[in-house]
Amino acid sequence: MRVILEAKARKKPFLPVEAESIIPRNFLKGTDITVYEGNKERRLEDLFWIFVEGTAVTPEKIEVVLKGDTSRVKRIGEYMDAGKMTIAGDVGMHCGNFMSGGEIEIFGNADAWLGREMRGGYILCHGNAGHYCASGYRGEKTGMRGGRVEVLGNAGDYCAEYLTGGEVHIHGSCGDMAGVEMKGGQFIIEGDATRPCGNMKDGTCMIFGTVHQMLPTFERTGIQELPDRKVKMTVYKGDIANRGKGVMMVKETVRPDE
Amino acid sequence: MTELLIKNACVFDPLNGIRGDIMDIAIRDGRIVDSVRDGSEVIDASGFLTLPGGIDSHSHVCGTKVNFGRYMSPEDMRAGRTARRGKMHVTSGYYVPTTYGNSYRYSTMGYTTVLEGAMAPLEARHTHEEFNATPHQDMLANTLFDGNWSIMEAVHAKDVKRAAAIVAWTLSSVRGFAIKLTNPGGTEAWGWGEDLTSIRDPVPNFNVTPAEIISTMISANELLHLPHSVHLHCNNLGKPGNYATTLETFGLVPDLNNNRQTLYATHVQFHAYGGSTWRDICSKADEITKSVNARPQIVMDMGQIMFGRTMTMTADGPMEFNLYCLHHNKWSNHDVELETGSGIIPVLYSKKSLVNCVMWAIGLELALLTKNPYQCLLATDNPNGAPFVKYPEIIGLLMSKRYRDEECSTLNNGFEQRTSISSLDREMDWNEIAIITRAGQARALGLAAEGKGHLAPGAEADLAIYPIRCDDVDPATEYRNVVEGFQKTRFTIKRGRVVARDGDVIVEGANATFWVNPTVPDEHNVANDPEFVKKFEEYYTVRMGNYPVQDVYLPRGRCIKTEADL
Repeated sequence: MRVILEAKARKKPFLPVEAESIIPRNFLKGTDITVYEGNKERRLEDLFWIFVEGTAVTPEKIEVVLKGDTSRVKRIGEYMDAGKMTIAGDVGMHCGNFMSGGEIEIFGNADAWLGREMRGGYILCHGNAGHYCASGYRGEKTGMRGGRVEVLGNAGDYCAEYLTGGEVHIHGSCGDMAGVEMKGGQFIIEGDATRPCGNMKDGTCMIFGTVHQMLPTFERTGIQELPDRKVKMTVYKGDIANRGKGVMMVKETVRPDE
Repeated sequence: MTELLIKNACVFDPLNGIRGDIMDIAIRDGRIVDSVRDGSEVIDASGFLTLPGGIDSHSHVCGTKVNFGRYMSPEDMRAGRTARRGKMHVTSGYYVPTTYGNSYRYSTMGYTTVLEGAMAPLEARHTHEEFNATPHQDMLANTLFDGNWSIMEAVHAKDVKRAAAIVAWTLSSVRGFAIKLTNPGGTEAWGWGEDLTSIRDPVPNFNVTPAEIISTMISANELLHLPHSVHLHCNNLGKPGNYATTLETFGLVPDLNNNRQTLYATHVQFHAYGGSTWRDICSKADEITKSVNARPQIVMDMGQIMFGRTMTMTADGPMEFNLYCLHHNKWSNHDVELETGSGIIPVLYSKKSLVNCVMWAIGLELALLTKNPYQCLLATDNPNGAPFVKYPEIIGLLMSKRYRDEECSTLNNGFEQRTSISSLDREMDWNEIAIITRAGQARALGLAAEGKGHLAPGAEADLAIYPIRCDDVDPATEYRNVVEGFQKTRFTIKRGRVVARDGDVIVEGANATFWVNPTVPDEHNVANDPEFVKKFEEYYTVRMGNYPVQDVYLPRGRCIKTEADL
């Protein structure tokens, strides 16, 4: 079954829509779903043109497609556990919060908090992701616990903060403080990063671009060659300041004084 | 003139010796009266358990340190969210909720008066502002004097009258209610890099011991005739083997007052540990209660812990630092100039932890081994031991041996050898529960004279009607009904107005703040004392003229005046 939701033009397009109810499972019972626009509760059909193709008896067989301007639609795919969601354009904040299964594909850019505290499943973002991609939440000590987040563009600051399990793969560069407070999992950055992995406790971070302002609290333990990529990586252990046992592999570093 | 008649109430009013009588209660203009005219509004209590409004004699709900707990735990604001409904504001939070969250939850549990356990005098304004935003409870503020430089100098000079005069000026300036000593001397010593390990260690620079501070403040308190006694958080909180310090402290206390205790020892559970390390920690509740049973001049509260996540916050900075060294989680520490300090860390009390299980058992042992229920009151040191929403469960545990046994069977195996909880058969009755949740508090805080905690004509019409039929429910076996009943009142009545019904708060609150103003002869007024004024000019960041809290902060202040014997 395919559910196509095409965003209607709104009088106040800047007003955020809280759309945590847009997940495949909820469409098993039809499209009688409500979302909040600002502080007003709206029916889904007030905000979207809805097209349904086919039928399904399990959420795994449901694909939800969002078209039009969805850049201010927040919390799409929150607590999603099965099925597929495709977003043709940009998506608002908190997409895929607490997701535990299924797949989200975003063809535009994602705003902040993409895949926050994710448990499982797969998120693929073809554009850029905002700050706190695949991170934990304010004050929480555990971030993403499982699943996979792949961003083909760049990610903002604090990417994979408190990463505890699963895999985060950024094909572009990350902003400041990538992988800060990491406690596990795998974090791959194809591009550059600034001050990565501060206070890291455990887990692995590989940076194939340039590291700016490498933190001094990482201990160099050797050089490792990755045969499948044919590159030599400098291996660090840290964060020593936190008695961490994490592994950071870096292709190139630029110290603050260089 | 508003009148209200409550019919068919099953009343327990320990201070007036009423035990489960079915009676009518008449209310006029917020006070209990003998009778009201026909045609006044009637509430049918239909035989439900009716008690005076609950009083929490030690809770941390307002003030800078509570608010810093909120800053530190944004994740807590994800819990306990309720939307705006009727007269109710939005609330959020579980262990450090918003002020309205605190107020509504207390109110739906039938609590109408709450004492804030520790207010730093310098930060009184913030506390009073939050009191105003906790509108369904009358509030009182314990005022911290544990590390007050002027007080310690007076103690060193063995000048009780001067100490009393400083207390009088400070309490009336900051609109405080009672003297609170938190780890007396210890926080100040820690500020100088020292740690006090007993009540006989001298505080650096001041050369006074905690024992001297406690004794002097007890005498000063009685000189001022304050309604409440000294409210003490003993030294060495949370250290294995600290029961010896607690017993030594209790030994310092003379019996000076016929109407109430001379010392209120708070959260004694945290002060009743035997052993020498966390590995061999055990309960010394029997020794502590033996001492309390022999000393009518002491009242304590349980400081019960309940399993789950919470936040510990206290003016005992060094203790929080020690905890931080164990947990390596978030920590904050704060110094309040010449007065005190504070520390905050989050904790998780776990059933898997032997230490936590022992702590859990000690609190219950204290309540069950104390013979006179007026001497061991129910409190969790909210939120340090557990958020106050756990009170109904504690009531259930105290009323049912079976409930305790069931809980014990889910705990870490080792703890039963270290405590005597499984051998205690006592089950509290309704009257004792009424004592440890309101009558005892009213007497200990000296509020019975202000019309709190009892239902005699003239008393304030604060009532809680719980959906429990005392005759039909056997608390020993049907403890689930008891716990549920105490969680949500049928009606909570505050000053003659129904404020909460079936778990919903239905009106805007209008609480009062009680504070004391001891009248001191002019020659003892420290505001005219050049040495005291000099201290302000030299050390405080605030000018003395700006220090007192203005009346505008207490729109509904209720001043209790006392005459000092100086």
